[in-house]
Amino acid sequence: MTATSLYFSAQIADDRTALARGLRRRDPELLDGLIEQYQYRLFRYLLYLTSSPETAEDLFQETWIRVLDRGDQYDGRSKFETWLFAIARHLTIDLHRRKAPQSLDALTGDDEFPGAGPSPLDLFAQQEAQAGMQELLGRLPAVYREVLLLRFQEDLGLDEIAAVVGSPLSTVKSRLYRGLRELRELVEGRQG
Amino acid sequence: MNGEMHSKAEHLILQEQVEGIADADRVWLQQHLETCPACARIAASTGQALRGMRAISVPLPPGLAGRAQMRVYLRARERGPKRAGWMVWAACGASWAMGIVTAPYVWRGFRWLGSSAGLPDLVWKTGFGLWWAAPALLAVAILLAEKWGREERTDDVRI
Repeated sequence: MTATSLYFSAQIADDRTALARGLRRRDPELLDGLIEQYQYRLFRYLLYLTSSPETAEDLFQETWIRVLDRGDQYDGRSKFETWLFAIARHLTIDLHRRKAPQSLDALTGDDEFPGAGPSPLDLFAQQEAQAGMQELLGRLPAVYREVLLLRFQEDLGLDEIAAVVGSPLSTVKSRLYRGLRELRELVEGRQG
Repeated sequence: MNGEMHSKAEHLILQEQVEGIADADRVWLQQHLETCPACARIAASTGQALRGMRAISVPLPPGLAGRAQMRVYLRARERGPKRAGWMVWAACGASWAMGIVTAPYVWRGFRWLGSSAGLPDLVWKTGFGLWWAAPALLAVAILLAEKWGREERTDDVRI
């Protein structure tokens, strides 16, 4: 490890420690800043999980309430976003357990939210190409969509994804392989 | 070229994206893709799928952060500061304990100061009493300042 990388590692560790301290204090300015900073990534993750903008927003707010309530549980050893996404995921699963007795693993693409109507991911489409890809992603089981997002949009490491989804590394890899293969096949199918 | 090689190539194409591959495997894969149009198509469509996925942008609902900040703020207000209160009282307790232990010495100190300065007994005894009250007064000042700070933030909060 070079001196530069050591410096940046130490800097990141310091930042996380400061963040953990602020969360323990329930520092309102810190929380405001975090909400601003992570709003896009958290909302996108929740939208991928739920396929519903309204549900995603409800869970977005609940997630931040949970961050406030349980801020003392963040120890600063892992990335903040890993902890944040894990909270969001648990809340999503809790919500769906209340709606129907099933886990996120049992949810698949289009039929996962009874009564939700047409895929809300489609409603969010602004461009044709994006809409096409969103539609394809919407056909994937939620557990595949989730890990694909965390790996290829959030750029999380495999061990970090395992921490978020609370599954063994082997399960995460398996979902990534299957999800990517299915997505590729969908892309090929669209091309005819 | 047998089916095993195609399977290996397809797996390496996925593995390269998911967890990375060794240099030797990358070289083998490149050579295979140059001579196998079917596997080259798989590599191309995998890349296309990933590029397409990365290009997706999700528009945020207007005021999303503001609404969350408001809810968090209200919740924080309900709960109040987590540790500041007990920390102040703990500091007061420690101060009182120290005060009891050191009281005889402080008493002598005040008496010496009073006699050195030629002050009436009432003055230096009052000073000694205030010395004891100082931690409690400080704690009250801190708690009041926190309360005023919270009330000011209520006025500033964005909806």
